[in-house]
Amino acid sequence: MGDVLRAVGLCKTYNKVDAVKGIDVVVADGERVGLLGPNGAGKTTTLLMLLGAVLPDHGSIEVAGHRLPRHRSRAMQHVGFAAGYLPLPDRVFAGWYGVRDERTAVDETLERFGITGFADRLCSSLSSGQRTLVGIVKATLHRPRLLVLDEPTASLDPDIALKVRTGLLEYCTSTGAALLVTSHDMREVEMLTERVIFLARGHIVANDTPAAIAALYGYDDLEGVFLELAETHGR
Amino acid sequence: MSWRRIRVVIRRHTYVLWRAPHRWFDIAFWPLMDVILWGSLGTYIAQQDAGSRAGTPYLISGIVMFHVLFQSQIAVATGFMEETWSRNLLNVLTTPVTEFEYVAGTAVFGMAKVLLALTTVSVTAFIAFGFSLDEIGWSMVPIAAILVIVGWGVGVANIGVVLRFGQGAEILTWGTNFILMALSGVFNPVEALPGALQPVARVLPSTHAFNALRTVMGGDPLPVDEIVIGLVGGAGFVVGGFAFSWWMLRIFRRRGFVTRFS
Repeated sequence: MGDVLRAVGLCKTYNKVDAVKGIDVVVADGERVGLLGPNGAGKTTTLLMLLGAVLPDHGSIEVAGHRLPRHRSRAMQHVGFAAGYLPLPDRVFAGWYGVRDERTAVDETLERFGITGFADRLCSSLSSGQRTLVGIVKATLHRPRLLVLDEPTASLDPDIALKVRTGLLEYCTSTGAALLVTSHDMREVEMLTERVIFLARGHIVANDTPAAIAALYGYDDLEGVFLELAETHGR
Repeated sequence: MSWRRIRVVIRRHTYVLWRAPHRWFDIAFWPLMDVILWGSLGTYIAQQDAGSRAGTPYLISGIVMFHVLFQSQIAVATGFMEETWSRNLLNVLTTPVTEFEYVAGTAVFGMAKVLLALTTVSVTAFIAFGFSLDEIGWSMVPIAAILVIVGWGVGVANIGVVLRFGQGAEILTWGTNFILMALSGVFNPVEALPGALQPVARVLPSTHAFNALRTVMGGDPLPVDEIVIGLVGGAGFVVGGFAFSWWMLRIFRRRGFVTRFS
């Protein structure tokens, strides 16, 4: 099994503030990884670098064997991205991602997440939770090898959030896609991921299974770990 | 380069235009008002001096061809700005669509806007002032080609400015059109400009396009030298626009400016 994402020695400084200080993020094919940390830990900067939207000051990034930023277009053919805070345009086009049979791809993906009724609706006519759901559907339309989700269920009701998690797990299991997800919902992380990378002040402070990290810090679950790290390292 | 992805960019902007009536102002309303304004002015001048080279045909042909430049520039620049207005830029940046494919899509879509605007101005000019595009004839094609290319170059450069300086710099997208209108001699020869501005005007490829237009409207053959200078200069504008925007995009990515738009 190869690595779908290999980022080594990433550093990023904004206005003399070190946002990310030499971290490695490696995700194997089919692996589900959580990227956690308190506000200001460097999660979003790291994700944006992994997506090619921000250039690292140092370090190298390869997605599906394609080096960023030089081969960004080829790399992004293997990546699906969604963020709970990002709005969507009125119409979502599968063609952006090189999908040939757009209608079939849309129908299959909507069915996977149980929202077939959204097929012909404009995004502006959906509620914010529904739009988040469509954003995740959009991210999986082209069957990417790596799904990158930033706070995917932040604005969703618990029942919809559960539906999303179930759909994501089913998607990753059935297609063998890897998942890299950030979230402030520790139960969600425990349900979705096999491994967690904890960031604090731009450093990786823990990198293991959720259970192992919880045990390392002397807690039963990740919630306690998060609170402790937020208290000691939060900005 | 993927034609499929370019087609998707075109489809996206077609839907945006279709669903947003206010965006028709650029294509229909402003061109209509411009023809009425300049056509009326030309009519008045002709009433004062029947032999004037600032009569209706000169002014209307000037404004008609200026809208070729205006539309091709504004389509490329506002195509990109549409992504910032709808906070969709990060979504676009994380697709396989390349920068060139995106600009190519907006430029091709811009051609459709040029045709729509040309239809508006030519029909209005014909109905209101009896001016027909036949008066320019086939010379319109190379003249329009220069103006379209210059519009693309300026539009791409304006994208670079917005990437670097944020949405506050959007005003330049419209502002540059007025600068080009004043300096390119749309309605008057370069010699009528203040002396200090004349060298600047002569550097602009659009000036040579409008020089050619005035020559044709005066009943002379199309000046090939003006067309060649205009086309070469226009190509330089496109290369320069892309180089500038590429530089700005690197700064945008290095400084993490994407968060401004998302």
